[in-house]
Amino acid sequence: MQSANMLLKKIVRSSVLPFAAQHGMKKDLFPLRRTLSLSLCLKQDNSCKPSEKLDLDAWKKVMKSGLQEEASETVSEPKELSTSAAAREILQMWRLAGRSVPENISEEQLKTFMECPSKSAKKKYLRYLHLKELYKKNDKRKVEEKRERRLEAQDQASKTDETKKRSFICLWSNTMDRAYNWRAAQSMVFGQPLVFDMSYEKEMSVREVANTVRQIVLSEGCNRRSVDPFHIHFCNFKDDSLYHREFIKYYREAWGKLLITVTDQCYTEVFPKDKLIYLTADSPKVMKTFDHDKIYIVGSMVDKSIKTGVSLARAKRLGLETAALPLEKYLLWNTGAKNLTLDQMMRILLTLKDTADWKKALEFVPKRKYCGFVNKPVKELKKTLDLINMLKVGKGREEVQKQFAKNYSKKYKLK
Amino acid sequence: VQPPEKPLQAEEWNKLREDFQTPEIFEEVMLNSMIRCNSPIDVAKSLLSHLAKRNGDIAYNVLVKYLTLCVQQGQVSEIRDVYDIMKVRFKILESGAYNLLIKGLSNSDQWRMALTLLEEVKKLMIPSRACYESCIKAAGRHQEMQLAFELYSEMLAKDVVPTLDVLQSFFDFSRGMKDAELQKELFGILLYLRENQIYPHKTFMRSIKLWFESIPGGNWRGHLTNIKDSGQCPVCHHQLEDSNLTEEEYSNLSERIIRDVIHGTDTFRKTSPQEFAAFQTFVENRLPFDIVIDGLNVSHIKPRKMQCENLFDAVNCLAKENARLLVLGRKHMLVNSSNWKREIMKEMQNKADFFFAENISEDDAFLLYATLRSGKHCKFVTRDFLRDHKACLSDSLTRHLFRKWQRGHQIVLKKCFSSVFSPQPAFRYDCVVQTTGDTWHIPYKDVFEEKYSYRVPRKWLCIQQK
Repeated sequence: MQSANMLLKKIVRSSVLPFAAQHGMKKDLFPLRRTLSLSLCLKQDNSCKPSEKLDLDAWKKVMKSGLQEEASETVSEPKELSTSAAAREILQMWRLAGRSVPENISEEQLKTFMECPSKSAKKKYLRYLHLKELYKKNDKRKVEEKRERRLEAQDQASKTDETKKRSFICLWSNTMDRAYNWRAAQSMVFGQPLVFDMSYEKEMSVREVANTVRQIVLSEGCNRRSVDPFHIHFCNFKDDSLYHREFIKYYREAWGKLLITVTDQCYTEVFPKDKLIYLTADSPKVMKTFDHDKIYIVGSMVDKSIKTGVSLARAKRLGLETAALPLEKYLLWNTGAKNLTLDQMMRILLTLKDTADWKKALEFVPKRKYCGFVNKPVKELKKTLDLINMLKVGKGREEVQKQFAKNYSKKYKLK
Repeated sequence: VQPPEKPLQAEEWNKLREDFQTPEIFEEVMLNSMIRCNSPIDVAKSLLSHLAKRNGDIAYNVLVKYLTLCVQQGQVSEIRDVYDIMKVRFKILESGAYNLLIKGLSNSDQWRMALTLLEEVKKLMIPSRACYESCIKAAGRHQEMQLAFELYSEMLAKDVVPTLDVLQSFFDFSRGMKDAELQKELFGILLYLRENQIYPHKTFMRSIKLWFESIPGGNWRGHLTNIKDSGQCPVCHHQLEDSNLTEEEYSNLSERIIRDVIHGTDTFRKTSPQEFAAFQTFVENRLPFDIVIDGLNVSHIKPRKMQCENLFDAVNCLAKENARLLVLGRKHMLVNSSNWKREIMKEMQNKADFFFAENISEDDAFLLYATLRSGKHCKFVTRDFLRDHKACLSDSLTRHLFRKWQRGHQIVLKKCFSSVFSPQPAFRYDCVVQTTGDTWHIPYKDVFEEKYSYRVPRKWLCIQQK
């Protein structure tokens, strides 16, 4: 009985749809009646009767009706737009369409956007701006949250007691700064020189130069805070170059007070040639130990495209010795390019200088790039790995066969 | 989410939305899955109506999604309605919506409206390839070939690269038409294929064949064939164009290789000026060579064998009929080691000229220079595809020249199971679309996608006029 009931219910329910569809068709045939039926529909809705006919085109009416006034306003507007205004409009539409486009864009950014040579370049630039905007927004939000929390804490503190007496005036950061500067000043006189070769501006895009400068700023910070800093030299540094302008963006008035040597001379003019070693990942020679009497040169270049051998060519031209870090020797390399960022280089060199411990120094290579440290030469390791893999494959096949036999025998036994 | 099968009431949508994890993007996700499942349009409409009632407005991206669904199902009246709404609501539209509108309308009897839309797009930006292609196909479908070709040339003028699909449609739509002007245009497309070294795929080739054979009074006949190594067509016994470059092309190519590949931005990147100069005098004193061998590349052919033995085999295999050989290597080959035996090296140096570059220099660049300098008859041996050197050339025209030259001059050594090599000869004929006026020879690929740029098709379509 019950099942029959269910069946009946199902039939009734499913017959609703074609009925509704028919109804809809009719409505389309007699457009004049549409409004009437709508009101009827609403009434029925009020009377609590679910699953009734729908007005499928109601949305169109809503969209159009809301617009009539607006449309009449926009009609009088002049149609022709300047190119930048048109670009702004397009960006707005892309934003509405859900592409990653920044909310606000300055005139300068808009100009760069319009000068992008290709569609994909435009897309990439917009995405970059969009992400930058997101980060900024997030930071702002965090700062505000922090301030609110601090205010709350202050409120509570003021409720409990008024003032605390301190035996020291809090001047930590100031004293630390002074100590660091003292050390850096000492390194200017007695320290081992480290050269940044600033002659790669022509090889880089504007954004690559900006990244380079940021990395150098980070490495300068590391150096200043270390126990025994290098004496940093910026060689081949041209005044009012892109590098220079970017540095001023970061350091502002501190640029003039930095405890480093900046010169437009080449390192070969400043130092004896036989003491120079150019560090480059393309070098055929591998660095074995850190030499405290040599002067190492690091090329200030971020290379996002593939330009192999640029810094090696520079060293070859000047007839300098070159060296690469022994990454292959100590690390089981996984992915990524062997060229490291400038601040990573700085940390590695500083650690080498202080400890001469390769393992400690190469901790600063990003973890994603390698699987682990090796104590044996990688070549031998690879051989054993291959052997293990081969054995595994062989074993695997055997195991499969065994299991296969097992299953079959089981089945037979069950029978 | 699974889209519902029939239109829902507002309350039902509300309920679904509340059950969804992130209600803010519920509509988008739902419409996406409707597009995926190709749901009936009424379901989407009911969702939109619900949205409109709740918010009094429908976001642009939701409208675009709905439009996608309409285009997918060819609902022309709906497409027009959506366009009207968008038009009033927004000052301009973005490329995604235009693409959809043009695609949707061009497939209907209102295809002329797609053309007006295309005009509208042109005012704002360079229309996408999809826009042009929809319009071209629409025009072709309605036998307006002249219009289609106008759009096509406009597209090329704007550096929008057409797909093979559209090119094929030209041949499909002009089948059986007798019109000298049209014929000229279609020959133009074939020459476009020739200039850009594009090979049509099998179905495209069939369209070309059918078009040729359908020309009234043309008396064209097409045959599928394989060209012999000699370069003679077995059907019409016509000799195909040889792969030699003209004098001008040849000097142009050598110049560009010296400039872009060897020197590039900095001569020190691949070699050094002293070394290059030394190499130049070395080559000038011994010109001309018949075969230039990339020693290191050849020495790695059989990994089980000693490297110098591999090279020795190869040199012996190629040193026949007094051919003048040049082997390029690096200095480390001269140091006696387990892989490089001094005696064998000595013996080889009696049979061929050797040049040893610095260990950090690139020998490929020298290979190209020596071969080009020796003249047109000179071939080179390497398994390398030389793609990185091709990429150094700055414009596509020179790159095409390079590829043509490479096809005609590169010998690839294939390893066999025995101890001998079998050199795979360079092509004697040029593998591009070619014509003599009353014959056409068109190479074609079996599969649609072109997997390797260095691999050229062996199958040809031969068309001749009786």
